[in-house]
Amino acid sequence: MIGIRGRQIHSFHHGNRQAFWLITSLLGLLLTMPPLARADVPEKLAFRVGKVVTMDDEDRVLNNAIVLVCGGKIEKIGTIKDLPIPDGYTLIDRPDHWLVPGLVEAHDHAVGSSSDLHDYVYLTNPGLRTTSALVPESENLKRARAGGVTTALMLPGSGNNLSGFGTLTKLAGDTVDKMLIRAPGCVKIAQAGNPERYWYGVSRCFMYYNLRQTLQKALAYHQKWERYEAGETAEKPEFDLFWDDFRAVFRRDIIALVHTQWYQVVMSSVDMLAKKLHMRIVLGHATFEAYKTAPLVIEQQDIYTCNGPRQIHFDQHQRKIMGNAARWWQGGVRKLGINTDAPVVPQEELPFQAAMACHYGWHPYPALRGITRIAAETLMLEDRVGSIVVGRDADLGLWTGDPIDPRSACELTVINGQIVYDAAKKREF
Amino acid sequence: MKNQTPTLGFTIVCLLLIPWFEIRAAEEKTKPAPPANEAKDSAEADSGKETPDPGKQPIDRYFAITGSTVHTITGPVVDGPTVLCKNGKIAEIGHDLRLPKNTEILDAKGYHMYPGLVAIQSQGILGNEPPEDNTDLYNLSMTLGLANGITTAVTGNTAAKLTFGTVEGHVLRQNLFHTLQYSTENPDGRRKFRESLERARQYLRDLDDHEKKKKHDPKSKPPTAPKNEDEKALKLLKHELVALATVNTAQALNDLAGLAEQYGFQLVVQGAAEGWIVAPQMARAGVRACITPRTRRDRDERTNHPNGSSIENARILHEHGILFAIIPSSTGITTMGLAGRDLMHLPMEAAFAVRGGLPDEVAVRAITIDAARILGIDHHVGSIEVGKDADFAIVDGDLLHYMTLVRWAIVNGRIAYDKQKDSLLDHIRPDGQRDAPPPYDPWPRRLGEDW
Repeated sequence: MIGIRGRQIHSFHHGNRQAFWLITSLLGLLLTMPPLARADVPEKLAFRVGKVVTMDDEDRVLNNAIVLVCGGKIEKIGTIKDLPIPDGYTLIDRPDHWLVPGLVEAHDHAVGSSSDLHDYVYLTNPGLRTTSALVPESENLKRARAGGVTTALMLPGSGNNLSGFGTLTKLAGDTVDKMLIRAPGCVKIAQAGNPERYWYGVSRCFMYYNLRQTLQKALAYHQKWERYEAGETAEKPEFDLFWDDFRAVFRRDIIALVHTQWYQVVMSSVDMLAKKLHMRIVLGHATFEAYKTAPLVIEQQDIYTCNGPRQIHFDQHQRKIMGNAARWWQGGVRKLGINTDAPVVPQEELPFQAAMACHYGWHPYPALRGITRIAAETLMLEDRVGSIVVGRDADLGLWTGDPIDPRSACELTVINGQIVYDAAKKREF
Repeated sequence: MKNQTPTLGFTIVCLLLIPWFEIRAAEEKTKPAPPANEAKDSAEADSGKETPDPGKQPIDRYFAITGSTVHTITGPVVDGPTVLCKNGKIAEIGHDLRLPKNTEILDAKGYHMYPGLVAIQSQGILGNEPPEDNTDLYNLSMTLGLANGITTAVTGNTAAKLTFGTVEGHVLRQNLFHTLQYSTENPDGRRKFRESLERARQYLRDLDDHEKKKKHDPKSKPPTAPKNEDEKALKLLKHELVALATVNTAQALNDLAGLAEQYGFQLVVQGAAEGWIVAPQMARAGVRACITPRTRRDRDERTNHPNGSSIENARILHEHGILFAIIPSSTGITTMGLAGRDLMHLPMEAAFAVRGGLPDEVAVRAITIDAARILGIDHHVGSIEVGKDADFAIVDGDLLHYMTLVRWAIVNGRIAYDKQKDSLLDHIRPDGQRDAPPPYDPWPRRLGEDW
């Protein structure tokens, strides 16, 4: 509510405009526009920094650069020589710091507390949404911001085959509406591992059957509506909340985040969900020896791999420690990101997950891209977050150096053009 | 392991342990087993001391590392000197050294050499106490510890080395600490401890009085010597023991530091998550600490004084002159996949201290010499100095950088781990190549063209 209060206080200075501002504020809330500026935070920021890692299409890295932020968006990018800082901008002058896109987490369970959110109702639970359980400004979110993380996919747990729908959020805002980017942001499917502990006798064959059955019913619902909307039938199908969110999945407007690991399970994910049901899937763990399925994954060109939290696999047959991300990369997979599975690994340690991927054989630049641009593409948000490009959301992290290096600290985090964490006030991580 | 001379201890383990070990030992040229009564001496002998063949002069074992950038820790960083080791000890460091004829030379040009890292706590790397009897000298965790540059670790109350394949020079120091069960939630325990200290102090006073009285009255009776816990307390007061307590809250740290200051005993605290709040009190009492920089303790909003963890803990303790060691939250070795918070990644935990403002050099000290000082083994390990043990971590970059891998680990002047000769990590940046081809991997077995 701070945003609103700020506006109201502001309105007193303008006396007769009070009503106008109040209505504007309420409208803003209703339309879930980007959070309104706080009275004490400048809306126009100018960053003069040593390095800007843009993560844009050309992979530009600018040294001694300036980034202008206005109205919650990136306004201009240029070098110190070329781009003068106009009046009215608050200058943040850190000539030895790096400015990188706000980090993007494609796999976060810390929706409402420190533990995984599990609703163990049925083995598949269409209709459930994490949006209804989201807690804004929780300790986890605050710490995440201190780690430079600005966007996250808030997922239901993996205790069931299908645990509901996730929410795409910014990690700032004191109401769910202010945090919200897209809801539902994904459907969460879990194959093998955790759901096998649901009940005695639940194992892979049954899970695949159960999952297929649920998804076929959802698809039938979607197709019924498609036919109606195409005018093929005059009979209007009955609206069903249980199945309706799946329409976006089958239209490929949102992703299916699949908890899948081990090569056999990943094969089944690719085959059942991507090939046969034409869903846009994200391999949500892709751990153990799953990297062996790289040829299959590449074949389906739109599959994103979001590796983690396990960064290593001990191949006992060969007595080798494999870096999972490195092995996916070596297998030719380029749509490759990294996750924390927070709170399994604390959300603020997302870049450290990338550091571990690099320690075990991956490369720093693609790893940083894997927690910014690629993660944004994974979530179908690349037109808004994950890169420093004019017109995109001003979600930024100001770092003392290479963000992947645990010795570097995030000094300032900006979400939607507002400073949401400042280490100079209190360093949280 | 071509330079691994089988020793008596080695032979004993052969007899006691795994059959394949015996085969391996047989392949090498085993010396005749000396009499059994020498076994203990050999195990406890100074590292590098060869078991002499009867009637022969012991042959000195020379090992030299050339060309690396040497981070001495207690002295300067030296570019490219030769470090000559004799019988497991550092004999000489310098340029243009004249090497004895039979010196085994390791060319480490382009690499960085640090003292072997010291893990102030560990699980699974060494056997339970007594480690000389229990350590599996070929266990995977030991190799993985070495692959992280750790050459000294603690099991139970004993500091021992990761002497891969040999028990020679294994144990460094026993009876490291007297562990206190100290908790603010156990007022009775706290009271008993205070009373023990008080009785021990009274005993010392009485003893003093007795010494004076004895001069006038030879029949004067000495005070009764304290027993059990009081005896331990007495040893604490006489600095024959060092107290160790696991405490995290500011209150408990303050409380315990106050006792240490009042009674003058030596204290090491494990955890010390809220040490940043009571650093002045800890510093005044000379308390030493063993910390995990990444420790996460949320603030308790119900209290009106500072609380919770801080990433700046290490820096603040350092600025108050408090000596500390760094240890990850997991003190074991895990191959289950969650990387970066166990003893396979000790320098990474130190790196997080740097994030909170600790200088790099101090962070490295906290996993080498400062950890050794806290364990009381700094005359053997923790820095590269003439006379100290030849334990090194030879790495391919800055120790605290996330891309750095250990190339060789040297223990007692022997190569205990060689990355390119061990299958574990040889495929990751072999000889520094970032774009090396993937390792041969016979899978996927069932994913052919016709799948």
